Amino acid sequence: MTALQAGSAKTGARLRRSSLAAKKKTFWLTTMMLPGAVWLLLVRYLPMFGIVIAFKNYRAFRPNTFWNNIVKSEWVGLKNFEFLNSPDTGVMIRNTLGYNLLWIVLGLVISVAFAVMMSELTSRFMAKAYQTMMFFPYFLSWVVASYFVLAFLDPTSGMIPSMQKASGLPVSNFYHETTWWPLILTICNLWKNLGYSSVLYLAAITGIDTTQYEAAAVDGASKWQQIWHVTLPGIRPMIIILLIMNIGKIFNADFGLFYNVPQNSGSLYPVTQVVDTYVYRAYANTHNLGMSSAAGLLQSLVGLVCILGANALVRRIDPESSLF
Amino acid sequence: MTAISRSGAGKIKAGSFSLNRFSAGTQAFFHVLLALFSLLCIIPFLFVIIISFSSEESIRQIGYSFTPKSWSTAAFTYTFQLGDALWRSYFNSFLITVAGTLCSVSMTVLYAYPLYRRDYRHRNFFNFLSFFTMIFGGGLVPTYVICKNVLGLSDNYAALIVPMLFSPFNVIIMRTFLQTTVPPELIEAATIDGSGEYSTLLRIVLPVVKPGIATIALLVSLAYWNEWFLSLLYLNKNMSIMPLQYLLMRMQRNADFLAKNSSMLGAEAAKAAARLPSQSLKMALVVFIVIPIACAYPFFQRYVIAGLTVGSVKG
Amino acid sequence: MKKFLSLFLALALVLSLSSFAAADDLPTITIMFHGSNVTDDSAVLEKVNEYIADKVGAKLEVIWGTWGDFDEKAVNVLTSGDKDVDMVFTCSWSADEYNSYAKNGYFLKLDELIETCGAALKTAIPESLMQAATIEGAEGKGIYAVNGFKDTATQNTWDVNVTLLNELGYTLEDLQTKGFFGWDEIFAKAKEVKGDSFYPFLVEPMVAERMVTNSIIVAGDAGSTNLLSLYLNPEDVSAEGAYGNKLLNKFATEEYKAFVEQMHKYYEAGYIDPALSVAETSNDARTNHQKDASYLIGTQSYAYGYEFSQDVIARGVEVKFVPCTDPYVDTTASQGAMMAINSASEHPEESMKFLALLNSDPVLMTLLNYGVEGIHYTLNDDGLVVFNADARASYSPWTNGMGNVTILPDTVDEGAGFRKAFQEYYAGAKGIPSLGFVFDNKPVENEMAALGNVAAQYALALDCGAVDPETALPEFLSALDAAGMQKYLDEANAQLDAYLAK
Repeated sequence: MTALQAGSAKTGARLRRSSLAAKKKTFWLTTMMLPGAVWLLLVRYLPMFGIVIAFKNYRAFRPNTFWNNIVKSEWVGLKNFEFLNSPDTGVMIRNTLGYNLLWIVLGLVISVAFAVMMSELTSRFMAKAYQTMMFFPYFLSWVVASYFVLAFLDPTSGMIPSMQKASGLPVSNFYHETTWWPLILTICNLWKNLGYSSVLYLAAITGIDTTQYEAAAVDGASKWQQIWHVTLPGIRPMIIILLIMNIGKIFNADFGLFYNVPQNSGSLYPVTQVVDTYVYRAYANTHNLGMSSAAGLLQSLVGLVCILGANALVRRIDPESSLF
Repeated sequence: MTAISRSGAGKIKAGSFSLNRFSAGTQAFFHVLLALFSLLCIIPFLFVIIISFSSEESIRQIGYSFTPKSWSTAAFTYTFQLGDALWRSYFNSFLITVAGTLCSVSMTVLYAYPLYRRDYRHRNFFNFLSFFTMIFGGGLVPTYVICKNVLGLSDNYAALIVPMLFSPFNVIIMRTFLQTTVPPELIEAATIDGSGEYSTLLRIVLPVVKPGIATIALLVSLAYWNEWFLSLLYLNKNMSIMPLQYLLMRMQRNADFLAKNSSMLGAEAAKAAARLPSQSLKMALVVFIVIPIACAYPFFQRYVIAGLTVGSVKG
Repeated sequence: MKKFLSLFLALALVLSLSSFAAADDLPTITIMFHGSNVTDDSAVLEKVNEYIADKVGAKLEVIWGTWGDFDEKAVNVLTSGDKDVDMVFTCSWSADEYNSYAKNGYFLKLDELIETCGAALKTAIPESLMQAATIEGAEGKGIYAVNGFKDTATQNTWDVNVTLLNELGYTLEDLQTKGFFGWDEIFAKAKEVKGDSFYPFLVEPMVAERMVTNSIIVAGDAGSTNLLSLYLNPEDVSAEGAYGNKLLNKFATEEYKAFVEQMHKYYEAGYIDPALSVAETSNDARTNHQKDASYLIGTQSYAYGYEFSQDVIARGVEVKFVPCTDPYVDTTASQGAMMAINSASEHPEESMKFLALLNSDPVLMTLLNYGVEGIHYTLNDDGLVVFNADARASYSPWTNGMGNVTILPDTVDEGAGFRKAFQEYYAGAKGIPSLGFVFDNKPVENEMAALGNVAAQYALALDCGAVDPETALPEFLSALDAAGMQKYLDEANAQLDAYLAK
């Protein structure tokens, strides 16, 4: 290793000397960025002028073109943001942040554990089989998943109420009782996303340089110690990146999970109302473009602050793994 | 590097065999945990299959159930009667997924690779260019206006592919894969050998990050396969290019709409609701959607697991 | 690497090649319908374009919006100023709500266009419907959409399974004399005869609430869960109700309290399917019970001739619809299905010519609604329409969403003379005193957003009787107060007073 590093330092020096080569390199690498950069400019950056709608009372003028309408619509300051400040605000922020924090931690621990277990199985066939099966929930939409949950909880024909009836217990009407829903939602979330994230971690584990395991084994490290000292540090960049990105979405919620799975039951709002469902329901009544873009912008701003904060923290501890 | 590790593995294997795998008991424990969770994941899909074979009366009377009162293949018969429309939407879904995945993965790799190169001058700029769009966006309507009026995305396949061609999230994931799997020395060695940037990427880097690429390809193709909202936005007249997922979502959304507006529509809603396709038909379509991607999955997985055999040293 | 890039570029180019329509000297006008189930319109459009080429001077293209995607599509097209869509469906309950979209400038004012290119409308559409469409829009008071001539009055009915009722030993008179508050005995009997898993009372909770308390939907109120009530006089819908012309907090009245208490009794006694009390399961459950005729009494907002429709006949029992009041014309019903011209349209004149023709010419209306004779339907010896089920499966638009349905020929199911009787039934309907009033919710939009969320949390469960009003109702009312109900109500009443003063 050391020999190689010394070698590479020399090469680096040689390259620096040749500025023509450096320019050529920069040129060719830049051409690689072009397709993506052009796409970003056209499809992502060009529409960003639309952000001003959050501060306007958007309506149509003559001639009715989108650009003209935006220019002529009157400025209303922060008026479009006001609807987010309602008696429900506390509940929806608590739910959004609470569930997200819980699920980020649980999701991380369990999916890393699963990925490690799968990578350590001697039976490759079984590892494959597990991985395939764990990915299945990812194929099913929340609407379909909600039917599945309904089959268990339906007050008349669901499996759990039927069992309660058969054993003489009082029958629960799950769609009007909030008690179990934090648990149900957590199970649903893990069920759907674990397969996905453990695939990412598994792929990261496969990329770990094998010599490290060999070195550890030669030093007499047990398998558990190898996981602790080789595997986990090896996938640390992936863990940190996914963590940062999840923290950036901490103010956003998976709409289908909170809307379809509880069958949009009003009685459950105290534990299912999140920012996205609140905005959706508000929009269903007002159809105000300004309001929904204001909510989106606010979520983005909070996300940005969280990501920058998390990234700054990571950069202090482990600059190699930071986002930028 | 690869050569070194392979020969090293050969030497170590015999001596430290026991240190490099878990005991049978621990393995069994892993199996139990993973098997339980896998079962939990697969049961809902079996459930969907059961519903799709349930008779309509059974669903009406006892709801969705693992043990329907009676069975029926009516949903599948009906689905096959859709005939042309079904196969065409199948074809569209395949076309969109394959073309979209190819383009998207190429763009992602091409974008992520220079970001991974610490010696690339503009990496901070491009990194930010992509990251910023992950957080901020112009919103639905402005994006629609640009895509339709500037890019001409309307009633064509491009409209169903281009808007999701590139994902900053995937770029970051890809960059992380490159960071963890490709040692910078590998690239420097190639540069000394006089290899051009593109040929280094294609011949040296790509083979090493295959598991990463397979993972990205899996995520991208799933996203394309499941996409229906783009069809809702951009398909107005040319319905012959409608993908399968949109066919299903339309049925779903029609039912939802009638439920929400029945008080306004009155008898009209009741009439329309009575004409809607049955629940078992919807589940049959779910089966149609899930099966191809479930079949394609092992293909992607081969690369992920192929990495495993190289990456670990168990016999 | 060049190969790779050029391959990529070529692929992108191929994908972005859109299908260009063959050049034609006639301009193309595009119309967007709601609620259609159309997968093959080629035969129909060919005939339509042949027919309208001279009369309208344009070619027609149609965007068949379905129930599920119309709202998003229409809002997207209108708010983005998309000039490629000329005419679009609108009404008092769709996302592109007529009054607010007209006010915000998305629809063209039609008064002059009707004079110059659409005179036929003035005879085809009754004056009262033209009046209902006349509102204060972006360009002043006027007509901003062509109002369709359909079931323009509201009438809520009890949907009674007469076969079962007789089997239990009761008659329709018994039902009516006992009334909503006295059906315990009948429900108990039904439960006894049909078993424990039978639910006799098949309510659509929100509709049941309006039926029992005699309140109506106020146009412009929160759409997903109404917050306001205006009480009718059930004896004479054109006279003022018990509270006069005043808007009330729907949930704070004695009538509402009595209703939810009674519903809770019925629910607790097991007369109501619990699935009806949850937003996303209630419609499926209701449709299923209707199909199986597994109910005794249901609720149904009624349209003339509904008992002759295929889905009622298919229940296999005798069904009677017992009205609560005479049909009444309110703003919501009189703006139930309209067609507006997009203010971004480049062909307003051709569009108006087309709309006038569609609403006055039976040939065009029949063609677009029922399809091509010989393909989608045939006429029997009596001149009634007999549908060809196979062809109709790929072409069944939503009739009421298209325009003047009174000029359509009668179908075999409906029987001869149906359309005429239909027309007479609704011509005789009386207007409520506040007809024409639309609540402009813009000044209290923030309150509405919050109130809508609160109401969605409580209203359905209460209306269905699933929760105990003893505890839930006071909780609900104080949550509404906290969300600004009083401000909302005051604004609505101030507007109503101003409207009535005019």
